[in-house]
Amino acid sequence: MNNKQIIGLLVHNHPGVLLRVTGLISRRGFNIDSLTVSPAGLEGYSRMTMRINGDDDQVEQFISQMMKIVDVKKAEVLPEQASVASELILIKIRNEAQDQNDILAVTAKYHASLVNLGEHSMTFRASGTPEEIDALVTEVQKWGILEMARTGIAALEIGDNCLSE
Amino acid sequence: MKLNGSEIIAECLLEQGVDTVFGYPGGAVLNIYDALYKYSDKINHILSAHEQGAAHAADGYARTTGKCGVVIATSGPGATNLVTGIATAYMDSIPLVAITGNVSNDLLARDSFQEVDICGITMPVTKHNFIVKNVEDLANVIRKAFRIAMTGRKGPVLIDIPKDVTAAVCEYTPAAPAAVNNPLLSDKHDFERAAALMAAAKRPMIYMGGGVVSADAERELLSLAEKYDCPVASSVMGLGGFPASHRLYMGTIGMHGGYETAKATDSCDLILTVGARFSDRVAGDRKKFGKDATIIQLDIDKAEINKNVHIDACLLGDLKDTLSALTEEVDETSHADWVEQVTAWGKMVQVAQTPDSEEYAHPYHIIEAVQALADQGDIIVTDVGQHQMWVSQKYAFEKPRTWCTSGGLGTMGYGLGAAVGAAVANPDKRVILFTGDGSFHMNLNELATVCSYHLPITVVVMNNQVLGMVRQWQKLFYGRRFSQTDPHRATDFVAVAQGFGVKGLRIHHDGEVETVLKQAFADRDPVVIDCRISPDENVLPMIPPGKTADDMITEME
Repeated sequence: MNNKQIIGLLVHNHPGVLLRVTGLISRRGFNIDSLTVSPAGLEGYSRMTMRINGDDDQVEQFISQMMKIVDVKKAEVLPEQASVASELILIKIRNEAQDQNDILAVTAKYHASLVNLGEHSMTFRASGTPEEIDALVTEVQKWGILEMARTGIAALEIGDNCLSE
Repeated sequence: MKLNGSEIIAECLLEQGVDTVFGYPGGAVLNIYDALYKYSDKINHILSAHEQGAAHAADGYARTTGKCGVVIATSGPGATNLVTGIATAYMDSIPLVAITGNVSNDLLARDSFQEVDICGITMPVTKHNFIVKNVEDLANVIRKAFRIAMTGRKGPVLIDIPKDVTAAVCEYTPAAPAAVNNPLLSDKHDFERAAALMAAAKRPMIYMGGGVVSADAERELLSLAEKYDCPVASSVMGLGGFPASHRLYMGTIGMHGGYETAKATDSCDLILTVGARFSDRVAGDRKKFGKDATIIQLDIDKAEINKNVHIDACLLGDLKDTLSALTEEVDETSHADWVEQVTAWGKMVQVAQTPDSEEYAHPYHIIEAVQALADQGDIIVTDVGQHQMWVSQKYAFEKPRTWCTSGGLGTMGYGLGAAVGAAVANPDKRVILFTGDGSFHMNLNELATVCSYHLPITVVVMNNQVLGMVRQWQKLFYGRRFSQTDPHRATDFVAVAQGFGVKGLRIHHDGEVETVLKQAFADRDPVVIDCRISPDENVLPMIPPGKTADDMITEME
């Protein structure tokens, strides 16, 4: 079955580790749509979070291949029901005077905050699950998206389980 | 004690039990070669003609000894010349440590003379690689490199060392090499389950690969095969891991494997895959491979499970451990009818080569004549192409680590370098290189090395004047349009050999095979034998790419 799964990676903070991980993804033809790298809160380690699109065999293969990279300490699928995933978006929407209230009404639904009001644009910041952000983007498309930047997904398993253990 | 980086390299090699290295000097490794001069009584350095040859030599050394091969090259072109050798070792899971010099730290990233990002280049073809920017890190990186190369699924590791690091001095503290520890990842329940599947099977077969040789698990495999009474097929990489003369041995499996292995694969109800990886040359159509079979896989690399073929049960760990544990778990069984059936298939399709001729010698005849003269422990090396497949079909390997071939990458030009490494590692044995005129042309420069060290290498060139394997495909799949496979070369291999200071002989036709080979085997001098074979000789049988046993070709024009 084709599905999207979020993978958490704990990696040694060595130069080139991002290249090793992305090189493997490209070489083996894995299909990912999000990749983030950040400090892991553990000295000497970084955390990578990625979302992969593939069937169960492909996800299993992805994890097994990742674990062969010497600098990867842990690679795990984050359980879908027991994880929290979030990303941040900065989005600049075309703003004609007559649309302004409608735009504010829609963005308010997503708790997006207005960070700048330009002559012909409005820039918002919002965070939420990838699905919420996708929905926001879809809804404001009719006014025109001038530019946007998304951080990609950050995700943690909830409860007491940690990737570092 | 205080040592400079180059002396630390030498000391760390000695720590790991390394007494032989292959390589080629150059600007960025001058300090390392100065240390090798100092340590020349403890570390034997073999100088190749080209870095690629040195890399293949380290590979041949590793394959025939089970030890980690070591190769040294300078920065830039020296390092890039290693890449094919490293990739060859990577595809066949051969442990290597490649040490390259680089420009000094202050010149890095400035496109300096002979600078190249060899770590970036080799990332996809090494298990891991390092650039060592501080001399303080050097000793531990070298130790780690050996551990990585030899642990789990073996493979090459590269260490890139800027020149200033090889001169910088720091405190060196000796350390004992870390013991290789491959934990058993499967539990009692997994073995019981595998044994239950095996007990339920009526028509089982074993498909073994290079992992058996890599793990030195030939005895464990033999015990299991005999206790379970199960026919064995080998991948090209697995040759020598099971005695060819054994009643349960079927031969090689795959594109140019025998009829019985192909038929058995299609008809069996269980395949026990041991240290093999279902490559496209074995499982041409991976969706139909063992279509009626339950597949159990024993491997050390978890990533091989469900990679190409869907597996029903797997046992993970060192093959010595998994095979012994499995053997204990299975009952003494007899599959007499099935074994008899497989044997009968073996007799059904016999492939004939071109008819007798005054003009040419037969490849199979040459191989059999070599086998008759060689000792059982002698080492057989090949290049890549038709000759390689003929040898894999015909030569009866009885012992592991007597076979070097580039199975995964299919590197033409691999053979002579590998033969040098095998000969250096096994001074008491004869090394026989089967090559083709195409492959031999690629790296025959290493004849210079063969001569320098007077290595007992017998080079058998199956000279058909064409690039035979590609030509065969053109015959079969490209309407006999022989694009660039008929090079019209006038190379006289006897004269070439003599030019390098090596003896040269020629076999013109079948009638001369025995007499000329006897002459070659009469002493331990290196020799090149130019064997004239027909350009129309084919490798058969053949299962076309992506197909199954049903599509096997047994005859060709």
